[in-house]
Amino acid sequence: MLGPLVWLPMVGVGLFFLPGLDGRRLRHVALAIAGLGFLWSLVVALQFNGQTAALQFVQNLDWLAPLGLNYRLGVDGLSMPLVVMTGLLMLVAIYCTEPEVDRPRLYYIMVMLIYTGVIGAFLSQNLLLFFLFYELELIPLYLLIGIWGGPRRNYAATKFVIYTALSGVLILAAFLGVVLLGGARSFDYDGQMASGLSMTAQLVLLGGILIGFGIKVPLFPFHTWLPDAHVEASTPVSILLAGVLLKLGTYGLLRFGLGLFPEAWAAIAPFLASWAVVSVLFGTFSAIAQKDMKKMVAYSSIGHMGFVLLAAAAATPISYLGTIFQMVAHGLISGLLFVLVGVVYKKTKTRDIDTLKGLLNPERGLPVIGSLMILAVMASAGMPGMMGFISEFLIFRGSFERFPIQTLLCMVGTGLTAVYFLLLVNKTFFGRLPEAFTNLPEVRWSERAPGFVLAVLIVIFGLQPNWMARWSEATAVDAVKSVALVRPAMAQLPGDQVSVYSN
Amino acid sequence: MVLATSQDFQTPDSTVTFTADQWVDRLISGQPLLTENPHNVMEVVEILAAYGRVLGDYSKNLLYIANHQFLVLFPIFKYMNGDRSPQKLLRHGLHQRINYEFAEYCMKAMLWHGGGGMDAYLDTPEFVAGARRAIEAKIAGNPIMQGVDRLFSEFLIEQVRMSCYYSNLGQFWTIMHRLFMDLEQAYRDKKITKIIEVVNFVKDGLVANAAVPITYSVTIKGEIYDILPASQGLTFLVDAAIPYVEAVFFRSLPFMGTLSYNAQARMVPQEQDKFVYGALFADPLPAGGGGIPPTLLTQDMLHYLGEDLLAYYRTFGRGEHDLRVKMVVSFQKSMFCVTNGAIFGLAPADPEAARAHYRAWVDRLLTGRLMDVQD
Repeated sequence: MLGPLVWLPMVGVGLFFLPGLDGRRLRHVALAIAGLGFLWSLVVALQFNGQTAALQFVQNLDWLAPLGLNYRLGVDGLSMPLVVMTGLLMLVAIYCTEPEVDRPRLYYIMVMLIYTGVIGAFLSQNLLLFFLFYELELIPLYLLIGIWGGPRRNYAATKFVIYTALSGVLILAAFLGVVLLGGARSFDYDGQMASGLSMTAQLVLLGGILIGFGIKVPLFPFHTWLPDAHVEASTPVSILLAGVLLKLGTYGLLRFGLGLFPEAWAAIAPFLASWAVVSVLFGTFSAIAQKDMKKMVAYSSIGHMGFVLLAAAAATPISYLGTIFQMVAHGLISGLLFVLVGVVYKKTKTRDIDTLKGLLNPERGLPVIGSLMILAVMASAGMPGMMGFISEFLIFRGSFERFPIQTLLCMVGTGLTAVYFLLLVNKTFFGRLPEAFTNLPEVRWSERAPGFVLAVLIVIFGLQPNWMARWSEATAVDAVKSVALVRPAMAQLPGDQVSVYSN
Repeated sequence: MVLATSQDFQTPDSTVTFTADQWVDRLISGQPLLTENPHNVMEVVEILAAYGRVLGDYSKNLLYIANHQFLVLFPIFKYMNGDRSPQKLLRHGLHQRINYEFAEYCMKAMLWHGGGGMDAYLDTPEFVAGARRAIEAKIAGNPIMQGVDRLFSEFLIEQVRMSCYYSNLGQFWTIMHRLFMDLEQAYRDKKITKIIEVVNFVKDGLVANAAVPITYSVTIKGEIYDILPASQGLTFLVDAAIPYVEAVFFRSLPFMGTLSYNAQARMVPQEQDKFVYGALFADPLPAGGGGIPPTLLTQDMLHYLGEDLLAYYRTFGRGEHDLRVKMVVSFQKSMFCVTNGAIFGLAPADPEAARAHYRAWVDRLLTGRLMDVQD
C-alpha cells in the first residue's frame, strides 16, 4: 500500500528517458506521475483508520540487518495528512513549472527525487531509513535552486546545502547515539528506545535533534538560509520548500524529539516554548521589515513554524493536533502565497512592495490573483472560516494551559501577521495602477487554477476541520501520553486527560 | 454591418505635443481637438452610437421619474419605467438592466453645480409658488406627506427642484440621442469620414436645437401643473447643454474609484468651480471597479457596442478583457469632439473675441485629458 507512494516517482524518472519527450511532454509525464501519486495517497487515506494511533499499512523488509537498517514503512495520524498534502503540493509545483523550463529532464528528475525523499521520510519507521530519505532531498533541492534559481542562486544554494548538511550530521549523530547508547538492536523506530538513557544523555541527544531539525524548520537563529533560498528559488521550488520540505523539520521534532525523548522534552519544554516565542516574534518583525514579497512570505514561515514548536512544547492532545493542522495549513497557505507571488512576479517582473501598486485594478491589473491573495493573507493571519484559524486556535487553546505567557506572546505574533500581510496587500494591490503596469499581460485561467484549488481547500478545511482531525485525533492523544506521564505530579493539568473529540 | 476591418484602424504612435497657442490656432483655422485619422473617426462614431442608444434609455427613465414618480417618497420602482411585471423585476434583480443610476449621477451633478436659466428660475418666488401648487395637489389626502411637509417645509420644494433636473436632463438627452443616432447613420452612409465632420455634425445639431424649449409640467389627478412654464423661455442650448457640459464634462463630483477623497484634508477644492472630476478629466484605469460612474456607463454602452469597435478593441491590450478602460478612452475622445462642437457653436464672429473664447476653452481643456487621448 505504501510502497507505490514512495517509489512511483522513481518510475517517473525512468519514463523521463523515453525517446521523443520534449520539455512540454516531460511536464505532462511528471504531472501524470504526481497525479497518480496524489490519487494513491487519497486511496491510502480513505482506507486509513483514524480511530487508532497504531501504525498502519506497515511494510517490513530486512535490508541491511547487521547495520540495523531495515526497510520499514508505516503511516499514522501524524504522517497521513502530510503524505496527502505532499502529493497535492507536488502536483501543484509541477503544474506551476514553466513548460519551457531549461534542461527539463534533469529538472523533473530532481523533483521526483524530492518527492520520493519526502514521502519516504514521512513513512519511514527506521531511523537510518528516515535519514537516507531525509538526505535524499538535499542534492536535488540544491540543484533546483542552483541551476534554475535567480541571480544569486549559487550563494543561496550553497548556503542551503551547508545548513542542511549540518542538520543531517546532527540528526545522524543523535540517531546513532540513541541506538548505540540505548543498546537497541536495530534502528527500527520505537518510542521506548531512548527511555533507558540517563537524563543527561537524553538532553544531549535531544539537543542534536532540536538543532538538526530546527535548521530545517527553520527556527531562529538557524533560519538564515531560508529567505535567501526562497528569493532565489523559482516559484515551484518555493512551493516545495515552504509547503513540503519545512515540514520535514517539524515532523522530525515531533516524531524524533517529542517521540523519542518525552522525559527530556518535558524537562526543557518551558525553554522550547520560549524559543518558539523568540522565533515567532523574530519571524514576524522581520516580515514587517521586508520589501520583497517572497522574503516577506519566507519570514512569515519562520513565524508560523514557531507556533508548531510552541504546541509541541506544550504537548497536550489539543496542541499536538494543532501542530498537525498547522503543518498542513501552512503547507497549503504558504503554497498558495508562493503561487500568487510567482504569478505577480511573472507578470510584473518585480516583487518589490514599494514598486508594485494597484494590482487589484479590475481591467488592467491582476484582480483574481489579488482576491486570492487577500484570502491567503486572511487565512495566514488566522481569520475564522479558514484553515489557519483552526490550526492556530488549536495550538493556542492547547498550549495556553501549560505556557500562558508564551502562548499570549505567540498570539501577539499572529496578530502581527495581519499587520505585515495587510501592508503587503495594501501597498501592492490597492491604489492606482502605476503607468508602468498599465499593460500587464493577462493572467490565464490555467495560471489561476492552482491558486483556486489551494484556496478552496483552505476554506473547506477551515469550515470542516473534522474531515482532517479524524485522521489524527487518536495519534495526538497517544503521542503526548508519555510526556504527560513523566511530568512532575504538580504540573499535571486537566488538559493532559482531555481527549480531542470530533463528530 | 461591418464597414471596415480592425486592420484599417491601427493606432499610430502619439506625436501630438501642441502648445496652448497652437491649439488655439488650430481651432481658429477650423481644425478639431482630436487628431484626424480613420480609426479615431470609427472609434468616436461607434462609441457615440452606443452612447446615443444608452442616452435613449436614460432619457426615457429620467422623464418617467420626473413625470410619474413626482413626489413619491420612496420611489423603489423608479427604474422600472412603469413595468412591474415579475419578469422585469427578476431581470432587474439579476442586473440584466440599464444602470439608470448613472443618469441620476449626472442629474445630481447638474443640480449641485447649477448654472443656466433654469438654476436661476428655481430660486424665484414664481417657481416656489408653482411648485407649491403642485405639492398641495399631490399631498392632498395624504397625512404622512402633509406631516413631512409641515415639519420640513423646504423638503418637498427641493424635491420638485430635483424633478426639474430629472426633466431637464431627460429632455436634453432625448435630443442628443437623436443627434447621435443621426450621426451614426451619416457615418454608415459615408457622409462622415473625418473627425472635423463629426465635430461639425454635432455643432450643427446643437445649433439647430438651440432654441428648443425646456419645459416641465406634471399631471396630478387629471390636472396639469406647470413647474417650468414655457413663458420662462428656457431653451436647450443655454439652459440644458451648457450647464450639462460644465457640470458633467468639467466639474462633476469626486467619486470613489481607487482614490478616497478627504475633503477635510483639502483633497477636494473648496470652491465648486474648481472641481475637475468630470468626463474630460476622469482617469480611465479604475473603470470596471464596483459602482463607480465610468463602470456604470461602460456596462450600459457594452450592450450596444458595434462590431467594428469591438473588433478594434480586440487588437490590442487584453482584447475583450479590458473593454471598459478602452471604452472610457474612446468615450473621452468622443466627448472632446462634442465639446469641440459646442466650442465652435458658441464661438463669436469677432476674430479677437473668438481667439479669447478659444483660449479660455483650451486653457481649461489642457488641464484635462486632451493630450492623453491623442494618437
